[in-house]
Parts: sequence; C-alpha cells; structure tokens
Amino acid sequence: MATVDREKAAPRRRRLGAIYGWIDERAGITGQLHKGLYEAVPRKGGWAYTLGSATLVLILLQLFTGIFLLLEYVPSFDQAYTSLYYIEHSDRFGGWVRGMHLWGAYVLILVIGLHMLRTALSASYKRPRELNWVSGALLFFLTLGLAVTGAMLPMDNAGYWTAVVVTNIPHYIPFIGSGLRTLWRGGDFVGPITLTRTFAIHIWVLPFLLFALIGGHLYLLRRHGEFGAWVNYETTEADPEREVVERIRRAEPPYPTTRIERRYAAPRDVTDFFPFQLGKDVIVSIVLVAVIFVMGFVFGAPLDERADPATLTYVPTPEWFYLPLDQLLVLIPQTYFIAFGIFGLMGIAATLFIVLPFIDRSPHRRPLQRPEVLLPGLFFATMVVILAVIGVNRLFSL
Amino acid sequence: MRALTRRQWLTITAAGSGLIGAMLTVPALGYLLSPLFEQRRRQSFRVGAVDHIPLDTPTPLTVGVVSGEAYDTTPVERVVYVVRKSNGRTLALTNTCTHMQCNVHWQEDLNQFLCPCHGGLYDMEGRNIGGPPPSPLPQWVHEFREEDGATVLYITNEYDESI
Repeated sequence: MATVDREKAAPRRRRLGAIYGWIDERAGITGQLHKGLYEAVPRKGGWAYTLGSATLVLILLQLFTGIFLLLEYVPSFDQAYTSLYYIEHSDRFGGWVRGMHLWGAYVLILVIGLHMLRTALSASYKRPRELNWVSGALLFFLTLGLAVTGAMLPMDNAGYWTAVVVTNIPHYIPFIGSGLRTLWRGGDFVGPITLTRTFAIHIWVLPFLLFALIGGHLYLLRRHGEFGAWVNYETTEADPEREVVERIRRAEPPYPTTRIERRYAAPRDVTDFFPFQLGKDVIVSIVLVAVIFVMGFVFGAPLDERADPATLTYVPTPEWFYLPLDQLLVLIPQTYFIAFGIFGLMGIAATLFIVLPFIDRSPHRRPLQRPEVLLPGLFFATMVVILAVIGVNRLFSL
Repeated sequence: MRALTRRQWLTITAAGSGLIGAMLTVPALGYLLSPLFEQRRRQSFRVGAVDHIPLDTPTPLTVGVVSGEAYDTTPVERVVYVVRKSNGRTLALTNTCTHMQCNVHWQEDLNQFLCPCHGGLYDMEGRNIGGPPPSPLPQWVHEFREEDGATVLYITNEYDESI
C-alpha cells in the first residue's frame, strides 16, 4: 500500500522522503516521535496540565534571550552599565530583547507558581511521584536563584544595591557566614569579583543544574505518566472495584502506575498526548510568549542611573517576588533573630516544602479531604500576602 | 592475560577516581577560596579639612576610595559622615548600615540616621537605636593631620569594625 502511494507522489517529495528515510533508518526519529507523541495522558483537565510544558518553554525562552544579551553585555564592574546603556539606547532592538528577558522571568515565576499550585492541590506528588515533586521544588529554588543573580548584573543602582543586600545575607549564617560573604563578593566589599562570580553563577552554574534537573523531572514524568487530578479517577459503575480492575486491565502505557493505590493506577479516560494535549500546550505557550513579546516591547526593562555607592537619596527596593522576604527583614530585629529568621524560618519553610510528599501520606487526593495540607498551605499563603501588603505600604510611604 | 578479580577492579577504579577527583578539586577549591586569604592593600585617602563643619551636625563628605581588593584599582566615591561633637571629639562614620549594608543618611529634622532599606535607625554618634540593625555604624579607620593650620581628615579603605 505505502509503496504504491509513494510511487504516485511527485518526484520531489519522493526524493525528500528518501532522504528522511535514510536519516530515520540510522537515527530512529519516527519511532522516538511515535513513542513521545502517542503516549496516554488523562483526558479531563488538559488545560491545567499545560503549565509544566509552558514552564519548559519559558525557560528555553530565557536561554534564548539570555544568549542574545551575552552578545553585548560585559560582566565588568566599570563597563557592565555602559554596555547595558548601549543595549538599551543605541542597539535598535536591544531594549526589546532585554525587556523580554525580564518579563520572561516574571511570567516564568508566575507560571511555575501556578504549576506547583496545581500539583499541590491535586496531590499529584503522592507515591510513586514523590521525586517529581522534589526535583520540581529544587527547580523552583534554582529559578529564584537565577532571578536574584540576574537582578544584580546591570550594575545600575537597582542592581548594585541588590548585590550589596543579597550577598550580605549569607554572613548571618553562624560561624561560616562571613567567609561565605567574602567568597561570593571576592572581598569585603561588592566589587569586580562579585560581578564576575555572580555572572558565572547566573549563566553557567545555575542553568547547568537547572537543565540537568529538568532532564530528571521529565524522565520521571514519562516514567510514571501524568497523574492528573481526582476528577480523572471517579467511578460510575455500581461495582467500583470491578470498574477499577477493568481500567487497569485495559490501561495504555505508561499506565497502570505501579506502587499506587489501585483506584489511582489508571485514569478513567485517556487521550493521546498528540494532538489534543500538545495542541493545548502549544496554545498556552504561544499566548505566554506573546505576552512577553508585547510587554518586553511596551514596558521593556528598567535601567536606573549608574551604580552610586555614595548615594544618599536612592531607595533600594526588592523585585516584587522577593518583597515578602524583604518585609520579613524589616520585621526581624537584632542579630540572633536575623540569623534565626532568615535561615531558621526560611530553612524550615523550604524544607517542609521540598519534603511535602513525605509528610502528606494520606490516601486522599481531593484538597478538602486533606485539611492537614490545605490549612497550613493557606496559612503560609496568607502570611506571604500580609507581608507583601505591609511591604507595598512601606515602599509607597517612603 | 590474567583476568581481574572484582576486588582488583574496584581498587583500581576507586584509586583512579580518587586521583582524578583530587587533581580536579585541589586547584579548583584553592582558586575558589583564595579571597579568604587575601590581604587588603591598605591605602589612605585625603577627605579634606573639617574645621568649618558645624558642631553636632553630621555632615556627609565624599572621597574616592580604592577598595584594595583583588585587582580593583578604580576609586569609588564613598561617603564619610563627619560628626564634630561639642565635647571636642570628631567621628568619621561610614554610612553603611550594619543590617544589610545599604547607605544610611542623616535626617536633620528627626535627628537620626535612617536606612531606607529596612528602616534601621542610628543616633548622631552612630549607635543603633531602632529597627533591625544589630550594631552601631562603624567608623572609617582614620586620622587627622594638621596641614597649614587646618585639621584635615584622612581615611583608609578599612572600617574600624567588621560588619
């Protein structure tokens, strides 16, 4: 059949087909594509499951715009600002690219937040997907690290004072803190070495860890399949046990998931990743990239005056996603509390966050059936919002 | 050729990996840690005459300071708050907040130093009197020299307390 069709096709297409056939015979592209595209995913709730792929697309966009910024930016204490001033004011599209890098970071942080919220509410992190959550949580912290190191690089007033405050925070760690600050700064003061070290962390160290972890995160996703949410596991028949058994019997790979309660082993209805889930993924990504494209052009990225270590008027303000933490710094007085507040409180919160799958061990998946997770989560969210509101108030009253 | 036993293979592999690890770690770690062992190149900078500064009024003077760290040789403008006390003592305060090292500034009407970052407060002599700062404002390591009948302030690129 296939050979007949191929002979009827135009010679040009036949030649292209032959080239593809030659490559495919050696690289096995078709097989891999088939494996990747025709994997089963839960049918219901597909829009909510686009956030992970959107995160990946946004990270790749950061890599892309970041590489373009590298073509002109120099990580020199004297010239970083000058090179950015050139990018902003002389390079025709420089301001746009830089704007996309900044707005890309903003949107990325928002989308990661939604992705985590979705995962937490649906308890998708439960056995056997604990490591998906742990790697995701670490990826989130790496992203925040990228955001804060990136904010230091412009060496305008905003970047310089961010560098001063952020590199100062480690010195409150008991015993080794001062040494850590010296290592990051390359001395007691923020200077040339601070910038090159932060730059290396921003463009190599963190991205390297990020992409390595992304590899693991995606491998785990494919290994266990998308969990979806409780809506994908409802039973309608009179004998739910029989329905579940039947579902498991007819499950398509990667289902049934092993090491999970039987009723969550295979979703009720699945669909192939291609075309509908992939289509939704593409639509969401296009919308997000378009938002970044427009915001990058309309608002761009701010560039303050050149860094002035002698300023008596400049008021350093944190990026919006660090405002709650910054407000915490305002509220915690004196040395020992500062160390406890930053590293104790934050450390505990971060640890609880990372090990969430090992704390929430109930068989329930609906949020309302997991008050032991939902209530502390809401409490934490409320605290963050209150800190942010107080922080905004403080900044506007300055 | 004689086949390796499992134990021999493990010994060779472990020794080899250890050797490679050491060769990579020692220079890299030393390179990374070198700022910890570096001495600041101490330098002195002339700030200016202080006789005209009004009593009990913290007054900001600026001077180009070379940090003396790493390969840094470019002077960076820094602030010295000169406080001439009516009791005859004169302070050369840095304006680096001891909380997160933002620049503090003197508020004439409120008679205090304010740090705009997190609301740290200091009195005229640099004592921390409010907000999160854990310790007083340090002074620049400084000296006064008599030049042509005027008292001239010189500072070094060091603080008298590490913060």
